[in-house]
Amino acid sequence: MSVPLRRIVLVDDHDLFRAGVRAELGPTVEIVGEAGTVADAVPLIKDLDPDVVLLDVHLPDGGGHAVIVQVAPERPAVKFLALSVSDAAEDVIGVIRAGARGYVTKAISGAELTDAIHRVANGDAVFSPRLAGFVLDAFREGDGKGSDPELDQLTGREREVLQLIARGYRYKEIAARLHISARTVESHVSAVLRKLQLSSRHELTRWAAERRLI
Amino acid sequence: MSSIGPIRLPISLPRVERVERGRELAGVCSGIGEALDVDPTFVRLTFAFLAFASGAGVVAYLAAWALLPAPGCPTPRQSRRIGGIVLLVWAAILALRGVGLSDSLVWPLALLAAGIVLTSAAGRFGERATVVRVCGLLLVVAGIVVYVTRNAGGASRSLLSPGAVAVALLAILVPWAWRLAREREAEHAERIRTQERADLAARVHDSVLQTLTLIQKDPADARRLARRQERELRAWLYPDRTSPPEGTLAGAVEAAAAEIEELHGVRVELVSTGDAALDERGQALVLAAREAMANAARHSGVDEVSVFLDAGDGTIALYVRDRGAGFDPEAVAADRRGLAESIRGRMERVGGTARIASVPGEGTEVELELKSP
Repeated sequence: MSVPLRRIVLVDDHDLFRAGVRAELGPTVEIVGEAGTVADAVPLIKDLDPDVVLLDVHLPDGGGHAVIVQVAPERPAVKFLALSVSDAAEDVIGVIRAGARGYVTKAISGAELTDAIHRVANGDAVFSPRLAGFVLDAFREGDGKGSDPELDQLTGREREVLQLIARGYRYKEIAARLHISARTVESHVSAVLRKLQLSSRHELTRWAAERRLI
Repeated sequence: MSSIGPIRLPISLPRVERVERGRELAGVCSGIGEALDVDPTFVRLTFAFLAFASGAGVVAYLAAWALLPAPGCPTPRQSRRIGGIVLLVWAAILALRGVGLSDSLVWPLALLAAGIVLTSAAGRFGERATVVRVCGLLLVVAGIVVYVTRNAGGASRSLLSPGAVAVALLAILVPWAWRLAREREAEHAERIRTQERADLAARVHDSVLQTLTLIQKDPADARRLARRQERELRAWLYPDRTSPPEGTLAGAVEAAAAEIEELHGVRVELVSTGDAALDERGQALVLAAREAMANAARHSGVDEVSVFLDAGDGTIALYVRDRGAGFDPEAVAADRRGLAESIRGRMERVGGTARIASVPGEGTEVELELKSP
């Protein structure tokens, strides 16, 4: 199975971190551009039209979500993968609701990051254990129902998948454990991502409001 | 110390200078025309027309000559500016009389205006602010008194005076109160900023700098020290998320994870959803979890352990997972107390369960569960 070469743009205001990512990413990923601010990133991404943008949640002149909001309407095919040291739920939920296809922490290894980039490029969602924990918290049953039950609740299977992600399982291991295909795991995670972005549950709305996203 | 700056207007005006080029007298009209981008002839005509209003145009011209900076020079001297302002007020009075307003209205208006300007500009007089403010208020009162006495007709006394007083008071008090509020707000914000800066400096000094010093002394320990530092900083930066309240289950699990990181130099990736009060059964769960983490740190051979605490809706579950060496559960010697006693025994004594799954080469997962009693 040949893996297509993915073109990515790296947006992070720390030179050291960018250098680290450059050194660690696998050969199937090519960094075509780098930026350290929202102002630099937006025209660069529009110009280069990469497959994936690796996006720091915190940038000096705005934040990851500002980049997504400005780029996404013009370049709907560009996928965003958020990357952060932050543990704050509103940061994570905020950038996901702005349109990122996934969230990983900066402690991630080079191989895992490469894998996550390919996954996002293929249209799948990438959840770190921590993001899975936040989502389970936000969609906890019984409290804060929104207006659309289909969007505002997780199915039993989605909950199971998220719990396994939170436990540190990889997609393949989840598939084996639940006796489903890896493809099905992907589609559950994508469905959760969609709910995360569109649901009006008040926890999510509150997080988004705090980040002034709505 | 005190000096009167140019009166600031709430709108921005173009900077006007008298000019040399194309001037007829002092260059006032050419200067104004240039700044407003109109033919200076119109400006001259305006001044000439105003001159018919009791000579207001002449006085206004003198005022402008006094107030506008000479070509290439900075703002004129203070005494000259004060003179200019007096002339300007005089011109305004003349103009108002010229268009037919009676003295009984013009003079009170002038006094009122002067009083309001003085009151609202009092802050710029430094130590003498209070005196200036009182003077301004006196002028306002004088204006009202003059107005009332000059218009001592029946109707104006009963209807206009209270209204005039109220308007005058509002005109003075509102800007004053607004300014006061703004000053207090700015002061408050500044105090908070200073305090935050001091707090940050103290934090960086106590923790980050100390850690960096330790790492320079003993690089072998860098990983453990860096991780401890990271944990401390996170707890400080995101207090609501990363530090569950003391005395709860999530708080105790986090403390146990931190201990294991500290003792064994591994990274414990802890995710938790929900929380519960830390009762006796919860304490047993935490101790069992701690033992499972310690086992993973000691025997797995990898430096990362994943822990997930799911404390929602009655049942509490906790998972400790590593991707290390693993072992064959059947082959474990009966005397390995760690697994048998510290984990399984503890859980069973409080009515919980412990499952241990391990595959050689793939890692181990310990699953602890407490159903609600």
